Amino acid sequence: MFFIMLRQSFVKGWRRKALATATIVLAASLITALMNISIDVGDKMSKEMKSYGANISLVPKSENISLEIGGVDYNPLEGQVLIEERELPKIKGIFWANNVVGYAPFLKVSAEMAGSAQRVPLLGTNFDKAVAVDGDEEFRIGVRVINPYWQVAGEWPAEDDADSILVGAVLAGERNLKAGDRVALRATGEKGAAQTFTVTGILSTGGAEESAFVASLATVQRLAALEGKVQSVSVSALTVPEDKLSRKARRSSDALDSLEYDRWYCTAYVSAITHQIEEAIPNISARPIWQVAASEGAVINKIQLLMIVVTIAAFIASGLGISSLMVTTIMERAKEIGLTKALGAADREVYLLFLSEAALVGVIGGLLGCAVGAGLSQVIGLSIFGSLISFNFVVIPVNVAISVLIALAGSLMPSRLITRLYPAEVLHGRR
Amino acid sequence: MADVKGVGMTRGRMFLLILFKSLKVRKNRVAITFFSIMIGASIITALASVYFDISAKMSRELRAYGANFFIGQKAASESRTSDAGVVKDAMALIPSDKLIGASPYIYGVVRLDLGNAVLAGVDFAGMKKLSPYWQVEGKWISVDFDEDSCMIGKTLAKNMELKVGDSVNVIRNETGFQRSLVVKGIAETGQAEDEQIFVNLALAGRILGQQGRVNHAMLSIVTEGTDIDALAARVQAEFPGLDAKPIRKVSHSDGRILDKIKGLMAIIAVIILTVTTLCVMTTLIAIVSERTREIGLMKAIGADDRDIVRQFLAETLTIGLAGVAAGMLLGFLLAQLLGQAVFGSFISFRMVVLPVTLIPSIAASLLAAALPVRMAVRVVPAQVLKED
Repeated sequence: MFFIMLRQSFVKGWRRKALATATIVLAASLITALMNISIDVGDKMSKEMKSYGANISLVPKSENISLEIGGVDYNPLEGQVLIEERELPKIKGIFWANNVVGYAPFLKVSAEMAGSAQRVPLLGTNFDKAVAVDGDEEFRIGVRVINPYWQVAGEWPAEDDADSILVGAVLAGERNLKAGDRVALRATGEKGAAQTFTVTGILSTGGAEESAFVASLATVQRLAALEGKVQSVSVSALTVPEDKLSRKARRSSDALDSLEYDRWYCTAYVSAITHQIEEAIPNISARPIWQVAASEGAVINKIQLLMIVVTIAAFIASGLGISSLMVTTIMERAKEIGLTKALGAADREVYLLFLSEAALVGVIGGLLGCAVGAGLSQVIGLSIFGSLISFNFVVIPVNVAISVLIALAGSLMPSRLITRLYPAEVLHGRR
Repeated sequence: MADVKGVGMTRGRMFLLILFKSLKVRKNRVAITFFSIMIGASIITALASVYFDISAKMSRELRAYGANFFIGQKAASESRTSDAGVVKDAMALIPSDKLIGASPYIYGVVRLDLGNAVLAGVDFAGMKKLSPYWQVEGKWISVDFDEDSCMIGKTLAKNMELKVGDSVNVIRNETGFQRSLVVKGIAETGQAEDEQIFVNLALAGRILGQQGRVNHAMLSIVTEGTDIDALAARVQAEFPGLDAKPIRKVSHSDGRILDKIKGLMAIIAVIILTVTTLCVMTTLIAIVSERTREIGLMKAIGADDRDIVRQFLAETLTIGLAGVAAGMLLGFLLAQLLGQAVFGSFISFRMVVLPVTLIPSIAASLLAAALPVRMAVRVVPAQVLKED
């Protein structure tokens, strides 16, 4: 009898049920999409935040205190310790290798321009170079990968082009250089003929590079007779925001017990990644660049919080929306319920009927909503971040459960009202 | 003539009477309609308010990245320092409500107990706001006139074997200056600051023999869009001797990140607006559809189809306007809750939110009422009245 009534209610009142299901689909898809995005927004924004440049810097361990002010070195160090370039691909061999977006090695030497006694800094780096590493065939390194804010008016030199050079905007202003000009440079202290370069572009970075010449790493190494050496490396890695554990680890990694240590080591904290790089490459010191590392965490936490709060707000609103719809769809069935009660149905049975109807509508609506919401979140991911949002399967059970709960909660109040009515009153048409 | 007018008046009165009765008698349904429109309108108001404020709010949050504006000496000039007063005047051009933090800098090389180091003179109060990302062990120097303390970079501290609370001798041969300073805090940034020692601007001036001079100033300014370039141009125009420019690394990225966040919020707001509107519509459709009998009765006693549609629209409009008004109030409160929870500050009210909420809410309500009524007026009265 119960199942007959349930089926009848869906077959005869299909429009009513379709409306209720549609509402739940809408609400559930909204919640699915928002939940999906809330979960993934941290990763997505973290990638976007890479536009602030590298967040880890590698320097030789025994580096002396530098006395550099505004790009001028007051203590040019003789015979300083340098990093071996061939060690660098090991950065892609650490536990969090997949989080390393790229790196750029730097070698800064002092150079003399032909026909001028004044020294100018000459910076060697990779622009955009493919490096073969295990597990990532298309891994690219260089400043164009990790410092998207570097801007060149003119052309970037090709990686293997030994005759092209970029000139920093400030230096270009001082020396009246422009793209297409030719300059002859010789590393300070090196004998031999100066090499002539063609300026291919003017570089703006807003940093010290603007007062320097920038050429490919191999060229500068050759000029300065420092083959295979680099001075510092900037690494760009995807990290998770700092928290209590990572702050504790930073103060002293001995303070962690083995469980905490494992958890710290296996979380993409910037401090864990620097620790792993130091393990992989001997004689270097890896330091987080806190301007990028700490700020990124602060901003991403904000965005995540924003998304969560918006999701909760949307959740409450759709919950109330579904409830009010449930109230209408039940109240209009007063007559039918009066009749069932007159025929001897117990209040309990009426409840059961309404609640199972609500649960059924909730399950169908919730599942359909998940599907629609998954599509919706991909639309958002593609249009904002240009990549798909990873679908988190925990969203499906959560969402179906929520839909059913809302439908049940929304039905409970009107079911109580309706079972309290007197059959005679309802059937007579007074209520 | 009079007859027609009389009929018209009767109709008008009848219209109002039905409207009034319908609202009064069907309290339950009115309440549900009102309630669902109010919820829909409030969520739309809240999100729209947050959306229109998100740039201002997030650009403030992005100041966690520190300085985004630089004022210094023209590259071409001989001297590397400028007059502190002039730089201060240039800094005063920035509206104070936009300025998060700022500090002038003066640099020089000094001798410490165990070797040479770069000494930087800064304004600590401004510095703390300028660089919230500094990881400081110990304390920031809090008072401007503290001339017995210094802060020191982490690498330098390690090399000089200094800890928080130790004293260090600062010596400058050229000026014959020597004083023992207490290390108040050790700072870690991962950049050049790690190898520098920081003291008060005035003290640094005396140590280096450069009173009243500064190398440059760094500023952290809340900006949206390209107004930072306009600001640079303005400072440049007023002080032709100075070089004022945005710090590209930060200002360029700020713009990109803001665009992303705005885009994300916009799409989410539009989706929530659409879905909420549709939710309200389905509820309204359900409420109106169950009144088919009533429509049959109205037709039976002589109402024409247009009258009925008008009647229902007027009813929905009345409830809808009240619902939207209440929803806007509630939504604005909700926006404040959101603003406090996420940004710790209030969301400002913007007029543009009013039409953004009002138009879709009312349009959706009217559409939701019109659809089922139009379907209902096509029924034959006798059929509906006889039985469902």
